[in-house]
Amino acid sequence: MPVTVKTFGSTGEAASALSSDRSARYLGGGTLVMRALNEGDISISTVVRATDQALSRIDVTSSRITIGAGVTFAKILAERELAFLHAPARSIGGPAVRNMGTVGGNLFAPNPYGDFTVALLALDATVSVQGGLGARDLPIEEFLQSRERQSGALVLAVSCQRPATADAFRYRKIARIKPKGGSVITLAAHLPVSSGRISGARIALGSMAAMQIRARAAERALEGRALDDAAINAAAAVAAEGVSPTDNALGSAWYRREIVGVHLRRLLSGLE
Amino acid sequence: MLELRKDIFADERDDNLNEIGKGTQRQDMLGHVTGASTYFDDHKLQGMLHLKVLRSPHAHARLRRIDTTEAERAPGVRRIIRGADVPVNLNTLLSLINFGKDDEPSLAVDKVRYKGEPIVAIVADSPREAFEALAKVRVDYEPLPAVFDVEEALKPGAPVVNETYPKNTFVYHDLYDHQKLRFGDVERGFAEADHVLEQRYQMSPIEHAPTETNGSIAAPDTNGRYVVYTSTQALFFSLDTCAKILDVPSNTFHFIGGTVGGGFGGKVDTLTEPLAILGAMLTGRPVRYQLGREEEMQFGSPRGAERIYIKDGVMRDGRIVARKIRAYFDSGAYTRLSSYAVVKCAAHLPGPYTIPNVYGDIYCVFTNRTPATAMRGFGVTAMDFALECQMDKLAHLVGIDPMEFRILNAYRDGDMKAHRREAKNTALIECVQVAAEKAKWPLREDVKRMSSRTDGGGSRATISPTPREPAPQRAAASQQRTTYDRAPPVATQPPPSPTPPPPRPSTPAPSHGATRFSSVFGTRRR
Repeated sequence: MPVTVKTFGSTGEAASALSSDRSARYLGGGTLVMRALNEGDISISTVVRATDQALSRIDVTSSRITIGAGVTFAKILAERELAFLHAPARSIGGPAVRNMGTVGGNLFAPNPYGDFTVALLALDATVSVQGGLGARDLPIEEFLQSRERQSGALVLAVSCQRPATADAFRYRKIARIKPKGGSVITLAAHLPVSSGRISGARIALGSMAAMQIRARAAERALEGRALDDAAINAAAAVAAEGVSPTDNALGSAWYRREIVGVHLRRLLSGLE
Repeated sequence: MLELRKDIFADERDDNLNEIGKGTQRQDMLGHVTGASTYFDDHKLQGMLHLKVLRSPHAHARLRRIDTTEAERAPGVRRIIRGADVPVNLNTLLSLINFGKDDEPSLAVDKVRYKGEPIVAIVADSPREAFEALAKVRVDYEPLPAVFDVEEALKPGAPVVNETYPKNTFVYHDLYDHQKLRFGDVERGFAEADHVLEQRYQMSPIEHAPTETNGSIAAPDTNGRYVVYTSTQALFFSLDTCAKILDVPSNTFHFIGGTVGGGFGGKVDTLTEPLAILGAMLTGRPVRYQLGREEEMQFGSPRGAERIYIKDGVMRDGRIVARKIRAYFDSGAYTRLSSYAVVKCAAHLPGPYTIPNVYGDIYCVFTNRTPATAMRGFGVTAMDFALECQMDKLAHLVGIDPMEFRILNAYRDGDMKAHRREAKNTALIECVQVAAEKAKWPLREDVKRMSSRTDGGGSRATISPTPREPAPQRAAASQQRTTYDRAPPVATQPPPSPTPPPPRPSTPAPSHGATRFSSVFGTRRR
């Protein structure tokens, strides 16, 4: 059966086309879907597209920013107001991939990809999803946990609070091939500080489990403390708690467990 | 920027040559940079069909039954090709030059020997229809024990990977299970040495990752001939290989190639052309067969992984007096070019150094991994990496600057190489001197004055008698046996024998390919 491409003007129509056909897949930038088609994935027989301009809109007017699912990483890099997201955006692929790859598509990227999602997870983002029954907002963690069941839904946008200071959000991707290799580990940390103490720490890890996860033990170790050596060491010591990495060509599960604390310490200490 | 040192060896160079030593623009460069070059896949022929291949999901399995009845009825399918349809379904690239036996089927018949081995080909109207038909092919596999390590593959009782070579080693000249080099008495050399250093080096397979994956388009031409647009790096090798596999005279084919979208050795095997032509023969239509990226990595060969053990005996003054090398090349499941890499490797021992006692055993071993092939200096690159790491370690051991240590041991004109040929026009000393100068690496004045043209020959030109059996080892009382990385020394190797192969060392290897060794900087004196 040949592959059918359906293009819709509105996201509502695209969402209902997606939810009514199990073999339909939404095409954002195409870095995942076109690769799958070219490699002979016959589970996809319909490709759905939407030309709605809202998908490629960036709203930075308030302290809560909203990024359309169709926004490319190149566009994020061109937006000065999103400087705190430049490091994660730059860590994805080469220029060709950044010109095509989208924020929405990154939410579905399997290991060792999906680095931008790690940043969004640390920022406690909200994912706006349009399903057959209408639009709703989901916390990103909930979205990721049900990601496999979300194939019939269309991601419209992601939104998150802007970090209070440049130092409050940190990101680091460990890759063997620089600048565009897959991730050995990706780390992101959001560390809001209130009266000199961390309040509401969020640490997210990529390539340390089947999907992007939070390092809850490390978050607890930092909560309510000043970001000093003792707190950093405590967080690094428990960084591998609750992770379940797998072996792949970029690194073994053992290696990932060994180095996650080292890189978390460097991230929190601000060391290069 | 290119700089030619015309003052060095001026009397040996002819400056009247038209090309050598002059900057000349490649004839295909303009087409490449302007995007005008035509690659094989730029040919879109009318009525072109697409060929896709079912590949083994197992590293080693018997094929109990292959059922294609449902696939034959799938929409768009023009032809299904199985092993029995291939006229001569066993081949090796090197058999064209009488080097090795035919061992690799175009489509597997009785069993599969690596993950990704082709089993059934389907020619359909579109790639999509070919993929959909492939999903309908039913194969009943009986998984077999597999072996992935070169030394495990040589142990008695290891699974037989490739029945053409039942001992899992390539057979040279119908006699030998490895390539050897013997020069002088290496055991006596070790006995006399002040230090003995043994190290293990392990390389990884490397994917060539060409931008253009392997592929070809074959189309019926007039007078029963076939025109083939192909990405091959070896046009006439491919043409002759296809003639052999398809059992037709080689003038049946008109191969058109020459523009390769990245090769580096990965397009020297004839991977896609035979089935594309067979598809065209069976359907009377043009057939395109191009590998996807994953297929390229599973079926297109990588650089072979080598495991190299080097044992060196060195004197306190820096002279290397004995070098013993045992190396295993991982050929994967079939012979593509690893067996030839072993010959190149043996010809490269012991590196560009004058060593009076050299002993080398190099094995080409079959495992249930993707067949390995040529890649940029194959057979030499990995060995050079190991040898030069070893040279740094030896220099550190005897406390000599690593550059000076190389100059000290370098070939000089008139020396006898381990292959019993006199070294001529060696020039290594001058190369190291220039490299040191460019790197601003200080050398001693007397070392700077050394030349590859002086101090060679004499006792360095003699061929010392080689014992047929190695003499028993007599370690000098003052000898220091050294190992790095705080691991116990590697066990002494057994004397060579064709079978059984040498056992693995009884202790864990002290270092792997990624040995960290930064003390070259620690030995800089100035």
